[in-house]
Amino acid sequence: MADFVRVCKTSDIPDPGMATFEVDDRFVVVFHMDGGFYAIEDACTHDGGPLGNGILDGFQIICPRHGAHFDIRTGQALTMPAVRGTPAHEVKIEGDDVWVKVQEE
Amino acid sequence: MPGTATTHHGFSQESFQSFLANRREPAWLLAQRREAWAAFEELPFPDRTLEEWMRTDIRGFRLDQFSLPNLPSPAGRGAGGEGEGRRQDALTLTLSRPTSGRCPERGLPPALLTQGVELSGRAVSADSQIDEACLDPELAEQGVLFGSLDHLVAEHGDRLQPYLFSAVNYRVDKFAALHAACWSGGLVLYVPRGVVIERPLHMLSALSPGGVDLSHALIVLEEGAEAALLAETASRDAAAAGLHCGAIEIHVGLRARLRYVNLQNWGTGVWHFAHQRALVDKDASLQWTIGALGSRLAKVNQHVALVGPGANVEVNGVMFTEGKQHLSYHTLQHHQAPHCTSDLLYKGALQDKSRLVWRGMIKVDRDAQQTDGYQRDDNLILSEDARADSIPGLEIEADDVKCSHGATAGRVDDEQVFYTCCRGLTRREAVRMIVTGFFQQVFDRIPIASVRHALGAAIGRRVREYD
Repeated sequence: MADFVRVCKTSDIPDPGMATFEVDDRFVVVFHMDGGFYAIEDACTHDGGPLGNGILDGFQIICPRHGAHFDIRTGQALTMPAVRGTPAHEVKIEGDDVWVKVQEE
Repeated sequence: MPGTATTHHGFSQESFQSFLANRREPAWLLAQRREAWAAFEELPFPDRTLEEWMRTDIRGFRLDQFSLPNLPSPAGRGAGGEGEGRRQDALTLTLSRPTSGRCPERGLPPALLTQGVELSGRAVSADSQIDEACLDPELAEQGVLFGSLDHLVAEHGDRLQPYLFSAVNYRVDKFAALHAACWSGGLVLYVPRGVVIERPLHMLSALSPGGVDLSHALIVLEEGAEAALLAETASRDAAAAGLHCGAIEIHVGLRARLRYVNLQNWGTGVWHFAHQRALVDKDASLQWTIGALGSRLAKVNQHVALVGPGANVEVNGVMFTEGKQHLSYHTLQHHQAPHCTSDLLYKGALQDKSRLVWRGMIKVDRDAQQTDGYQRDDNLILSEDARADSIPGLEIEADDVKCSHGATAGRVDDEQVFYTCCRGLTRREAVRMIVTGFFQQVFDRIPIASVRHALGAAIGRRVREYD
């Protein structure tokens, strides 16, 4: 079972901002938005492309390939061409550290 | 294992120099390796901004987790020693009668392609080193070369030098350059003019946990020669990590005929990168069948070039993926001469969260009139989360050709399952039967029964039950 993994310091990601990390053999995008930290899988469910290269627009990340929008808090797909959500991962802050626990597959 | 030496971790300049120092190869080959190493150092790792790598994520790949196969070259063992004697005995072993092709020795995985097949020769490789190679002595007398590229390139450099890296361009990407700089082990099949090999030859390449296979296959059929080669890979541990970074070069001469079967059956922890290219000359024929069942991630470029008028190429592909496997095959049928025929049929079945990518191109040069080219890729999706990408393409400069392509992706038809279950089969048996039937079209094109049976059985074992 996956456990929390420390990925960075809170100051490493500006607000607003995002960064990609490898956690338990998977790639995860961690977002810093309005003081909160969120993490979703670094994969667009439309064609598997990396969301970490996308554009952050409020609480939405826009896939750089075909423009699908995902909610960074829940992973929910908000626009075509993506119709399925991408996994959202648990985040916790301890002191200055950001920790991520990847959702079981 | 004979002849092991000090190893340096990673693929550093230091480890490369150590690797070269151990090889003691001809000057032309060392120069070629150094050129390729310079290209390797210069080229970046491919990333997903490139069209060819857009669907293939290698961010999890760490080259420094692996080491160069730092083994002394058999060609350099001229000064005697225990390793030399054992090695030399193995390499000169000849067959007094046809062999069954079983390879149970040294704990190697069993060969799948040779059940019930009488062979003209066989070679066994472990971790990028040929352990054993044997050939029917009558064929050896006729000038056929079959065995370790390490060994034969030193002994028969005059014949092999013109072919080595003449078909595959090692400057195309970092993996090709790495392979060209550091290839080790590998296989030569050289069939002289007019020699016909009736029974197939077989090659098994095995990987140990954490092992590296940088083998290079060089297959040359001179004018009028005929042969069939069955090659397969396997891992000693079904899930352990490993790296294959290889290349296959095939030269089919005037009116020569080659049937080549290549089954990639590594364990699911292996990274598999390969550049493969065949040059098919005037009125020559190549039937190239690939099976792709294994590896964690595979990125393969399989190219055929029809360089002489009247050349004929048939490419067959059988793929089955499961778990989180990702297999990416990029094919090119390059018609460079008139009156040539190429026909590609790939079929894949996917389950769990696996992914298959096929990107195919038929390219017809301006002078390649009267070309007949076809490519087709069919995929059967067995689970909700599996995914197949089929991207066919045509690039035609001639104006008198027939070229077409097709691609399909679909799920197992529930009505077919229901109908089959009504005949007393379980759902799993029904799905297995339907999957086998799906592949039948490509199996029918494979003339070697053992290959059909091996692929069919391997796929049948993998099919799981889905609601």
